[in-house]
Amino acid sequence: MTTKQFTISQCQDSHSINFNAMASPCEILVQSTDIGLANKLANEICTEVWRIEDKYNRYDNNSVCSKINEKAGHRVAIDEETFLLLNFAEQCYQLSEGLFDISSGCLRKVWTFDCTNNIPSEAEVNQVLKSVGWRKIQFDRQFITLAKNMEIDFGGIGKEYAVDRSILLAKQITNVPVLVNLGGDLAVTESRHNNMPWQVAIEHPDIERADKTTADMIVSLHSGALATSGDSRRYLKKDGQHYGHVLNAKTGWPISHAPRSITVVAPQCIQAGILATMALLQGKQAEQFLADQDVKYWSRR
Amino acid sequence: MKSTTNNKNIKAALTVATAALLGTSHSSQAQTAEEDSWQIDSAFLYYSETDRVSAGEAIINAQKTFEDEEVLNLKLTIDTLTGSSANGAVAQPTVQTFTRPSGNGQYQINENDTPLDDTFKDTRVQLNAQWTQPIAADYTLSTGGHLSKEYDYLSLGINANLAVDFDRKNSTFSAGFSFFHDTFSPEGGIPKPLSSMLIGDNNDSNWDENFSQTRLSSDDTKTTTDFLLGFTQVINRRMIMQFNYSYSMVDGYLTDPFKIVSVVNSNGITQDNIYESRPSSRAKQSLYAQSMYHFETNVLDVSYRYMWDDWDIASHTIDSRLRIPLGDLWGKESYVQPHARFYQQSAAEFYRAFIQKSDVTGIEHISADYRIGEMTAYTLGLKFGTLINGENELSFRLEYYRQTPTGGGREPIGVLNDLELYPTVDAVIGQVTYSF
Repeated sequence: MTTKQFTISQCQDSHSINFNAMASPCEILVQSTDIGLANKLANEICTEVWRIEDKYNRYDNNSVCSKINEKAGHRVAIDEETFLLLNFAEQCYQLSEGLFDISSGCLRKVWTFDCTNNIPSEAEVNQVLKSVGWRKIQFDRQFITLAKNMEIDFGGIGKEYAVDRSILLAKQITNVPVLVNLGGDLAVTESRHNNMPWQVAIEHPDIERADKTTADMIVSLHSGALATSGDSRRYLKKDGQHYGHVLNAKTGWPISHAPRSITVVAPQCIQAGILATMALLQGKQAEQFLADQDVKYWSRR
Repeated sequence: MKSTTNNKNIKAALTVATAALLGTSHSSQAQTAEEDSWQIDSAFLYYSETDRVSAGEAIINAQKTFEDEEVLNLKLTIDTLTGSSANGAVAQPTVQTFTRPSGNGQYQINENDTPLDDTFKDTRVQLNAQWTQPIAADYTLSTGGHLSKEYDYLSLGINANLAVDFDRKNSTFSAGFSFFHDTFSPEGGIPKPLSSMLIGDNNDSNWDENFSQTRLSSDDTKTTTDFLLGFTQVINRRMIMQFNYSYSMVDGYLTDPFKIVSVVNSNGITQDNIYESRPSSRAKQSLYAQSMYHFETNVLDVSYRYMWDDWDIASHTIDSRLRIPLGDLWGKESYVQPHARFYQQSAAEFYRAFIQKSDVTGIEHISADYRIGEMTAYTLGLKFGTLINGENELSFRLEYYRQTPTGGGREPIGVLNDLELYPTVDAVIGQVTYSF
């Protein structure tokens, strides 16, 4: 359960707000020496982020997501926000030709990416695969009905969505430059004062090689968002093969020859996140896919 | 995706889908590139020496960052200069008469006063354009052009610079080169070096012919070639240092056609004023070190430069600034920045405040321009800045500048002992800048 508190500290011309959400360290940077403003931003943004977390966290029994999953096979009432998110997921399903599917969440029953060699058998995967498939879901503005044993998981879009909502909030509250970073998925309201870019560091995925200095990449961000897909922390390793945690929703297996991680820059965080995930789903073609889309990205293999 | 027809559409489709999700009516163009907007910095500066030169300067600088971190910088500077400047002659216990550089008139200087020529009224327009772009990971190339024009002077220049980053951009090496070609067409033409200044009546029928006898040509040129090697290093979270070495070679007409040197007798009385003459080349080198240190809130910037050239001029410059943020004390995000600078230079080998008649023969180069003589200069200033509308910066700067030329061991003779040969020059500088 996330501890719902934040800390504010001042550094030179900015304030830094730190808190935890969505199982990640989160940070808001505001380029202002006004502590009152920092407090206001902290309160409103953290409240919004925790709200989204509580609503769509599949690990939380009280969340809307859990309620929908529990009642699989039955109709569940949904609100406008959930409908919009489902619509968005639908678009992603179509654009990725079925590779991106938020109903693939139940594959976690056989895939636990706990950094061990615990990979499931083909039979186990096929069994679970029967409960996967966006086409088996029906929804409209008011209700959603999953097929029996199905589950949906907003994990692939929830954090990025929370970043974008936070930026919209920040823009309503202040004109001062703000950066919102939820566990590495981040966005800014505008460039820093005097048109200086935000200097953002991206972590190298191979953190287990502790003896080598981890190479941080510094990205200059003037506006827009940055999201990283692929995760160094959650994976399986067996027979020297690294199984990234992005699963092909059609086959039930991890995408082969996918890059370790992809970072994408786009006007909104959710757009960046989806492009990064879609790229990973291309496996070997990840970089080509992003190059064809004319998208700015960094890939680590 | 196998279907290539879909490819370009995915990004666009996602943009639409995102807008629908977030309820935003449009998506911004920006990514790591800057939005289509120009960053404008404007400044107005006023410089005034007590009883001497006054200058006003307006600068507009426009910068735009394109995709892939390409930057275009355009700068327009307009200067106007008025007032009077020392012509190089020494003060005398009697009234003196000098001819204007154009030859069209004379001016008189009161006894005991340092001779100043007040012919200087000029306006100069300068244009600078610079293009910077990354050419490979960690390699940045910058090139640019320069043009400046005033009534009697034209300068054209180009430059190029390559910067290479190392160690996650904690270290940067840079190598730069620039070339300038200047053409000088002073009013009255280029005087024959070391020839006597013609004093008389310019309404005289023989004047024009006699005056042109003292002229060498109507214009001349000079070229400047500079090389710069630099190294910047981030020491730690609080400190960054920079080191530069530069080499500059100037060739051509380096003499100041408006400056003269007084030829005096053994009693210090001026017999003649001759036009100065400087070598036709000058090679300058300099070593520069700068350090910027971030305290909790204040930032200290200290630099030192040592310069030396083949005219025997060597100089030391120590410059320091301390930026003190004031929070929102007097306006949003305001700061105050005191400034202190100390400068000292030794005289050029051919610098003389005056020359005795008996020493004139055999002289090849001579100048009495105090600016290449031995001198110490101090600057003390204060700058105040604040944000307007939360994002535009406005700042005010006021500085006091004092130049103290000294004799460098040369003893005055005769009446010159009772006159001020090395007058101190005081100046006040005021500047307002606005960035938006």
